[in-house]
Amino acid sequence: VSADDVSTGPEPVRIRPFVLTSGRVAGAENVGLETQVVVRHRPAPDVHLTPELASILALCIEPMSVAEISALVPLQFGVARVLVNDLSASGYVEVYSTDEAMSQDPELIMRVIRGLRNL
Amino acid sequence: VIAGGFGVGKTTAVGAISDIEPLTTEAVMTAEGVQVDNPGDRSAKTTTTVAMDFGCVTIEGGIKLYLFGTPGQSRFGFMWDDLAHGALGALVVVDTNRLDHCYAAIDYFEKRDLPFIVAVNLFDGTLTHSLQDVRWALAISDAVPVVTFDARSRRSVRDTLLVLLDRALDRATAAASR
Repeated sequence: VSADDVSTGPEPVRIRPFVLTSGRVAGAENVGLETQVVVRHRPAPDVHLTPELASILALCIEPMSVAEISALVPLQFGVARVLVNDLSASGYVEVYSTDEAMSQDPELIMRVIRGLRNL
Repeated sequence: VIAGGFGVGKTTAVGAISDIEPLTTEAVMTAEGVQVDNPGDRSAKTTTTVAMDFGCVTIEGGIKLYLFGTPGQSRFGFMWDDLAHGALGALVVVDTNRLDHCYAAIDYFEKRDLPFIVAVNLFDGTLTHSLQDVRWALAISDAVPVVTFDARSRRSVRDTLLVLLDRALDRATAAASR
């Protein structure tokens, strides 16, 4: 919690990660480890997000994977995916999930092969 | 996906090729299983936190290739569904002295039909068992490449990933023409 948060609003209550998701573990199946997350709309000044949600938004100025979010905030992966899904539902972030079919696209695989050869 | 038993060199391989310093994410896993040594007991439910290391290589055309090192514990295998989703393929890293540590991973990738190859990490530059022996011991089809590599070398890891991607490409091309 930064000093700013404390001075501009009611003091946030520190709660455990699993409470943050209200016990939810399902509903975010489309959010994978490799799913890219990027900020779409910043919250209005009078909206006070939990520190965890605010941390995720701060990281996602640039597109970032849920795995990186989980490692950097840090949050358990299962918690990170639920919170990312919440931010997406609220319109704060855009999520780009990997389509299963993409990984079996010969053209994409060839692009990865060419890219690795040129490393 | 980079799979294999504990201490086999998964994280070393990720670190050798990743643009970013390898990161660690944690996941809580729940597994239900009958206690093998005491089958009379009721099913035991265990929860554990498993750490997973990963890295990322950004290649031409803005493609980000993520490399996830999977925990070796077979009974927590359901995490592999998250890992296998959208994966191009799996590199099964083995230590020839502890081949049994990768059985669960190979079973999973075969069942899931995810392209995989087996890579023997040459810790000290010597191969203690022939690659034919490794193939025989793992009972994998002749179509699955078995190679040696050095997990510390960026070039070696890259070349090993290219062997895997060639296999993935063959499979994808065959599937697309069906």
